[in-house]
Amino acid sequence: MIAINNIHKSFGDVAVLRGVSLDVASGEVVCLIGPSGSGKSTVLRCINGLETYDHGDILINDARVDTQQADIHALRTRVGMVFQRFNLFPHRSVIENVMEGPVYVKHEPRQQARAMAEELLDKVGLNDKYDAYPNQLSGGQQQRVAIARALAMRPDAMLFDEPTSALDPELVGDVLTVMRTLAEEGMTMVVVTHEMSFAREVADRVCFLHGGTIVEEGPAKQVLSQPHHERTQDFLRRVLNH
Amino acid sequence: MILADVFSFLPILLKAAIVTIEVTVGSLLLSTLLGLVLAIMKVSPTQLLSVPASVFINVIRGLPIIVQLFYIYFVLPGMGIQLTAFQAGIIGLGIAYSAYQAENFRAGIQAIDPGQIEAAKSIGMKGPLIMRRVILPQAIRITLPPYGNTTVMMLKDSSLVSTITVAEMTRAGQLLAASTFENMTVYTLVALLYLALSLPLIFGVNRLEKHFGQGNRRRDK
Repeated sequence: MIAINNIHKSFGDVAVLRGVSLDVASGEVVCLIGPSGSGKSTVLRCINGLETYDHGDILINDARVDTQQADIHALRTRVGMVFQRFNLFPHRSVIENVMEGPVYVKHEPRQQARAMAEELLDKVGLNDKYDAYPNQLSGGQQQRVAIARALAMRPDAMLFDEPTSALDPELVGDVLTVMRTLAEEGMTMVVVTHEMSFAREVADRVCFLHGGTIVEEGPAKQVLSQPHHERTQDFLRRVLNH
Repeated sequence: MILADVFSFLPILLKAAIVTIEVTVGSLLLSTLLGLVLAIMKVSPTQLLSVPASVFINVIRGLPIIVQLFYIYFVLPGMGIQLTAFQAGIIGLGIAYSAYQAENFRAGIQAIDPGQIEAAKSIGMKGPLIMRRVILPQAIRITLPPYGNTTVMMLKDSSLVSTITVAEMTRAGQLLAASTFENMTVYTLVALLYLALSLPLIFGVNRLEKHFGQGNRRRDK
């Protein structure tokens, strides 16, 4: 479904990605972990063309992700993205945020879009917040709206860029519950996260990135419990002890 | 100041005040449209759009408004473009202010969190749609207070078109004063009439600034 083949990327002289390859099968949940600056968010942002890459290929269902091509917009509608800082549209209500893509990108009738938006908001537990504005919601609620907004495009896959890093600890659980449900329903997911327990329970596969490459990857339990690589061991020791 | 004078001057000045309002509103509309186009061009990643916009804005900002007015009213007819003084006034003031409006709008557009644009892209939106649905609605709120200030300045600078014979308030005052020698009465009236127009605007702008300055966002639709 998503095939990343040896991508490289530099910001000026700084190489952020040095040959990352990753295949994500349909229905698979892959967690990307690693220290900050390891390139995990950049990989995610390259998948839906928010960043360009210098070498290599990213294919989504055999279509190449290329920000120079006209079909990049269509490609993006098939891959939902959830951001660390939610990025809801502050001037639109919750339901309008969710309807925005279906109505203005897919040109669906408003009624149909509204029905689907309500269904999605119910699903993420916000059935009483349709007409609220983002600044009236907690961070956890905003992130769940953001998830509903991405799902409203009926994507084939969802990308999560540290979706719980900006949340107060007591709000993390609700967001992870929604993500867990999505995974159980068979959504293809690539998740950049520091939530090791989520990765352990939900991910099919965990990739540990360091210095712009995937240093270690494998089944979640193996990578997180018995990492082979010294850097992975080091990273996990620091993350789990803090 | 004699009351009889006031009553005989006032109707003339009030009539001229309508011209002042017409010039202000006309050039406000023109400068808003042109300024918006210039701002969108200037933030464009395409140099073919951004460079001409920058050049235009800088040239216009570098010229005194009065010289622009003279140019339009006295020079353009030589090139076959005939305009009435009223038209030339609105076009001159409108173009002159479009550069300032463009800078207001550009600041508003660039104040939008880049995350907003990424979110819009991530649901498949294209540039023009992002501009219309995501950036401009938010930028307008940021731009409103400086926009209001620019409007107040335009109202006052509409007096400049008196130099090209538009019979607005300042011009009417000059003519009245020249023919009656009642300088004090006439110019006091003119000043009071300008204040009557500008003070409500200024209060309105202050309220806008307070409203938007507190980070309040409109919650109704």
